[in-house]
Amino acid sequence: MIWVTWRQHRTQAIVCVGLFCLIAVFAVVTGAWMRSTFNADGLGTCLARTGGAGCPALISSFVRKFTGPVMMPVTIMLFAVPGFLGAAVGGPLLGQELERGTWRLAWSQTVPRTKWLVTQLTLVTGGLVVFGAAVTAVMTWSRAPLDQLSIRLQPPPFNFEGLSLTCSLLCAFGLGVLAGLLLRNTIGAMAAAYFAWEVPFLLVTLLTGPLNILSATERIPCRDGCAGASTNSVPPVTGHLGDLVLNVTRSGNELVVSYLPDSRFWTLQLIAGGLFLAIAAAALGTAVWLLHRRTT
Amino acid sequence: MTRADGVPALAADRVGKRYRHVWGLRDCTFAVPAGSVVGLVGPNGAGKTTLLAMTVGLLAPTEGHVSVFGETARAHTASTLARVSYLAQDHPLYRGFTVAEMLHLGRSMNPSWDQALAQSRVEALGIPLHRKVKSLSGGQQAQVSLTMALAKRAPLLALDEPVASLDPIARLDFMRDVLAASADTGLTVIIASHVISELERLCDWLLVLNGGRLQLGGAVDDLLSGHALLTVPRHTPDAQLPGKTISRMDSDRHSTVLLAVDPARLAAALSCQPGWQAEPVGFEQLVLAYLRRPPLGVPTANHALADGASHAGKAVTS
Repeated sequence: MIWVTWRQHRTQAIVCVGLFCLIAVFAVVTGAWMRSTFNADGLGTCLARTGGAGCPALISSFVRKFTGPVMMPVTIMLFAVPGFLGAAVGGPLLGQELERGTWRLAWSQTVPRTKWLVTQLTLVTGGLVVFGAAVTAVMTWSRAPLDQLSIRLQPPPFNFEGLSLTCSLLCAFGLGVLAGLLLRNTIGAMAAAYFAWEVPFLLVTLLTGPLNILSATERIPCRDGCAGASTNSVPPVTGHLGDLVLNVTRSGNELVVSYLPDSRFWTLQLIAGGLFLAIAAAALGTAVWLLHRRTT
Repeated sequence: MTRADGVPALAADRVGKRYRHVWGLRDCTFAVPAGSVVGLVGPNGAGKTTLLAMTVGLLAPTEGHVSVFGETARAHTASTLARVSYLAQDHPLYRGFTVAEMLHLGRSMNPSWDQALAQSRVEALGIPLHRKVKSLSGGQQAQVSLTMALAKRAPLLALDEPVASLDPIARLDFMRDVLAASADTGLTVIIASHVISELERLCDWLLVLNGGRLQLGGAVDDLLSGHALLTVPRHTPDAQLPGKTISRMDSDRHSTVLLAVDPARLAAALSCQPGWQAEPVGFEQLVLAYLRRPPLGVPTANHALADGASHAGKAVTS
């Protein structure tokens, strides 16, 4: 069964490796460039000495440079990759067998169909986890200098750092497998899975934006009359470069700041990843459970 | 798997399969002895594919049960799958695989796989192992499928319309291979087909399905000796005949009746009715007569089995 699974997903595996290489080349090039700029600008020294307060202009120009058009292609790609790829791998797994009638061949050999499905799901899930983890690793390495200076609590890069990318990939995959079983059609399953995947994806985007359930509030005494304090200040009014400031109001001699602390990055990742994984597990579990009912 | 004497290779006990609101197969009961070559005949939608898919556990019966060598066929179990080699209709294969890869798939999914048999058969047929399935002709694809079914080495071989896409020569060769496999290894074979004349050469057992009901089932020799073509004066009512009328053709002076009848009763009737003439019935004639009758299960239909015994009403009320 391991060989069969490999052979049936060989093309997809090659496409994934190709995609990874493309992303890796881009990540290594921009990562190296970022590091040389970072050192040339003396940003490391500035950060160590003043936490960013001493060189706001340099930080702003660095962030602008590397979040602008340069990063655009791969950033846009990484928005769609988990949904497209997951749906494209998951949709045909059952959809194509049922559409082309090859299920009658596959499931009349001496491997019971539940075992067939579980083996396929296990191996393909493993492959997707490796792919997701590898893309996350190169992108995180590449963006390390930028992440020291900017906010990673919002997509991008929230959607391709930490657990997000891998988990949302698995979510789209699970939805694809289930849709294939229900629709018995490859293209239909892929489309249905992609659009269904948009729901948790948008939910996660909202979690890091308007639905900021993890935000904190801090009261900060004003210095210099609080002039110019805003949500866009560099460094943020909270004094920590990674914090996402959501709202600043002035109350007497204090600033009331509502913000998402950078320290909550992993908590937020766990929530997002957990949501994606729960949907993936529910979809795959339903597919395994429904397999008997839908095909006998 | 046991193949003790008397244990039927394939048996169905009041088997039915419902698809949503429609019964694809209903009240189907028979028992086929091991080593038989069974012809399964019927028009499209008669329930042939349903019945074959149930033997290998691809489908589960809604009621009753199918057993293979004495063990109930259960969907999704390895033991059921191991007892049956199944060649599905339209011989599905993975189009992007090479022939060698299809055989590799068979090897990695079947513990009893006979790689030497598979490889030598494909080579003997002149099918290149490195060719992709999608570049093969329909006939070659059917041969690859049959090879996979044979190499699985299960004691029951279930073939669903195996020769539909073959040319006449390939059909003959194909059937010859099946017969040879059956003779060599004691394989029991069940073949669903439209081509009655080809089944005649192959089969020693016959199942006729129509409208999801079993119309006729039994050993071919018994079926042929249990029927006769009787020529009687016209207007002789069916009730006076010594058996069950299956079909009747009236001409000016005579009627030709295909009769399900016990040979002894027929002989007795002939001896006291000098105007009657009996002839043996042909295989194809017999099958066609049963296929032309309105399917059983329609409330007004007659219900006759091979032995001529009347089961009228049983099928209707079940």
